[in-house]
Amino acid sequence: MHEQLIKSIQDKITLSPEEIEKVKHFYIPKKIRKRQYLLNAGDVCQYIAFVEKGLLRSFTVDNDGGEHVIQFALEGWLIGDMSSFLSGDEATYNIEALEDAELLLLSKPSMEDMLHTVPKMETYFRILMQNHIVALNRRVISSMSDTAEQKYLKLMNNCPGIVNRASQQNIASFLGITPETLSRIRKQVAQK
Amino acid sequence: MATVKTIAIVGATENIGSAIARILAKLNYRLLLMSGDQAKLKALKEELEKLEPKAGIDIVGCAKEASWEADIIIIATPYEAHKEVAEKIQEVATGKIVISVSNPINSNYGRVVPSANTSAAEELQKMLPYSKVVKTFNTQLASKYISAAFSDQTRDVFIAGNNSDAVTTVFELLHVAGFHPIISGDLSVSRTLERLQLSIQNQMPGAL
Ligand SMILES: NC(=O)c1ccc[n+]([C@@H]2O[C@H](COP(=O)([O-])OP(=O)(O)OC[C@H]3O[C@@H](n4cnc5c(N)ncnc54)[C@H](OP(=O)(O)O)[C@@H]3O)[C@@H](O)[C@H]2O)c1
Repeated sequence: MHEQLIKSIQDKITLSPEEIEKVKHFYIPKKIRKRQYLLNAGDVCQYIAFVEKGLLRSFTVDNDGGEHVIQFALEGWLIGDMSSFLSGDEATYNIEALEDAELLLLSKPSMEDMLHTVPKMETYFRILMQNHIVALNRRVISSMSDTAEQKYLKLMNNCPGIVNRASQQNIASFLGITPETLSRIRKQVAQK
Repeated sequence: MATVKTIAIVGATENIGSAIARILAKLNYRLLLMSGDQAKLKALKEELEKLEPKAGIDIVGCAKEASWEADIIIIATPYEAHKEVAEKIQEVATGKIVISVSNPINSNYGRVVPSANTSAAEELQKMLPYSKVVKTFNTQLASKYISAAFSDQTRDVFIAGNNSDAVTTVFELLHVAGFHPIISGDLSVSRTLERLQLSIQNQMPGAL
């Protein structure tokens, strides 16, 4: 139930078995089913979710009702509306399970408690934040300067799991292209 | 689709479990019903769906699965089954509210919590150290809770618990269900609440 989390932590820092036990108890194990929401835009994001199993997406809805996929999360990833989680303001993201999922939820107070009880976890979260900033920067730059095909190839190389598991519609939305363009690129890539 | 809280009722098919299911089905919660009796569960689900066509109700075969999916867990089994249930759900109940409605009497109406210095709820808290145990719904007959929730009369419902956020959440839940919740104190107040029930039981033998 905590395998992915422990792996994610042990990849970055070294904890004793006692510390691991302590860390586990700050996370709330929660299953959600496909199509259920973890967060609605307008609510405050109370938890960041670590994904033990399954696939989720965060997305915004524009004034015309159009959906824009911000992020996917699969095993070993974190998902949440970070600005809302950290500031306590209303969330702008919705978070939905695209597959039945097993999550480990961490609330802000639990996170503070945990960092206090197991200070080494500060390092773990700093590394996560660093990775997050790097990924965010890459995504911004890629969305401004890459061609549709380059964007797709990057996603395929970096996250083949998402390309295999998410729907065409969601992948296209994540890349900021139409499903028709995505399908054309997929054909081109397959022919090469 | 809005996020709704999911509530698991472990031991949903008898008096108090099914009464709570009826009360919650009319509110905006998703319910997971669990007991050992599949036929009874199915009948209960059908009955609730007839009463509340919009209610989201699912049957879950085991206590661990139900509790894993839940945000709030209600244990409505006899006190004697607590140990078995607690062992099954402990890992997945971390950080969650666990509501104890049980009174520490066995099927022969003999007391099962022997010491005066504890209560069924406190014993459950010891078995689930990482959960937030809240005592409520234990001082009245199930039928009384039902008649209160489905009429204009308000009825006092006592709450006891150590975690103030958990107590507040249960307070709000009872309030929207139409009760008049009264926060009685920390979990040790369960000793009084559970003994209160014993005196009621003496007036109506076999009632609770
Ligand atoms: N009766 C009332 O009006 C009332 C009011 C307030 C509080 N209480 C308290 O609530 C508790 C339940 O009483 P009750 O009268 O509703 O009925 P009960 O006959 O004690 O109900 C037992 C329920 O728990 C289930 N159960 C039993 N052992 C289980 C186990 N090991 N794992 C999972 N589920 C199990 C039963 O289902 P299966 O047997 O089908 O598995 C049934 O649904 C008691 O502790 C009582 O003191 C009762």
